Amino acid sequence: MKKLILLPVLALGTVLLGLGCGTNAHYVATGGRENIVSTGEINIQDYLQAAEDSTKSLLASGALNRVPNPPAVVGVGRIINNTSQQIDTDLLTKKIRVALLQSGKAITSTTYGLGGQGEDPLAQQMQQQDKTAQRIPDFSLSGKIIQTLARAGDTHQATYSFQLSLTDRQGLAVWEGEKEITKQGKRASVGF
Amino acid sequence: MKKILLLGGTAGLLALCGCYTPTVNSVENTPTVGQRQFITDRRVVADADLAKSVALVKLNTATTPDDLLQVQVELHNGTWSLARFAYRFEWFDAQGMQVDNVLSATIASQIEGGEDKFISGIAPHPGCKDFRVKFIKTK
Repeated sequence: MKKLILLPVLALGTVLLGLGCGTNAHYVATGGRENIVSTGEINIQDYLQAAEDSTKSLLASGALNRVPNPPAVVGVGRIINNTSQQIDTDLLTKKIRVALLQSGKAITSTTYGLGGQGEDPLAQQMQQQDKTAQRIPDFSLSGKIIQTLARAGDTHQATYSFQLSLTDRQGLAVWEGEKEITKQGKRASVGF
Repeated sequence: MKKILLLGGTAGLLALCGCYTPTVNSVENTPTVGQRQFITDRRVVADADLAKSVALVKLNTATTPDDLLQVQVELHNGTWSLARFAYRFEWFDAQGMQVDNVLSATIASQIEGGEDKFISGIAPHPGCKDFRVKFIKTK
């Protein structure tokens, strides 16, 4: 008799436990406190923090004001990825570009690129037709992302260094910024 | 009796090893050369614990060479332990409309017990005239 009562109760309990512990897919704010934090990779909130810090530093420096015809034109150079993961560096540079454009202090050239390859080939063709429309970038934005790992027992630590330089036509770095983000833990977790 | 003493001793040792968190001493020049332009503020406290561990001391503003509003917030940890928190700047134009900004990141930060710390933000556009900073406790 006892078994007859106990079995359905146990089954119900197991089902409820399953429902309660699983997290259904839901939307979270990008870069918010509910985002997953992992030590083994760069998370979206890391790109956001690095981009915010770099843009803040660049705008505060006033380096973009030192051009004869403002707003300054910036060409995006090479961002070297020295981490163990495959990353799209546009996750960092695009945010900076959008923020600079919104500030009204700089415009990015999409027709100037490494090896003469602009990121927008059609715009590059259009520009070649109209020679008067050409404007050489005032600055080049380049940088490097570096990963430094450390471990003590089960605890892993990763430091990601986002290094950026703004170089003028004379080859002088008129602004340089570095943002380091360190994360420590035994496993990935949700939230800051 | 021996057992109680042993347990008490072990607990004390563990407390010393595990719970000790350093607090911060500091020194600075006086009188200071830089003059901060302090501004009045309005505060909304929903988390009293956070308001103690990440207490807002003063706000000051400046303008960058690019005419962008720059805000600096002085914080103080009024407790003896490390506090982890996140903050975010929001910006508003002259009409009070929030300015859409791709870089309004939530920044994770921490402050040691008894420490004073500064956080700062720069308006994304010269048209930004007002701001709000939000704080939240983190793990």
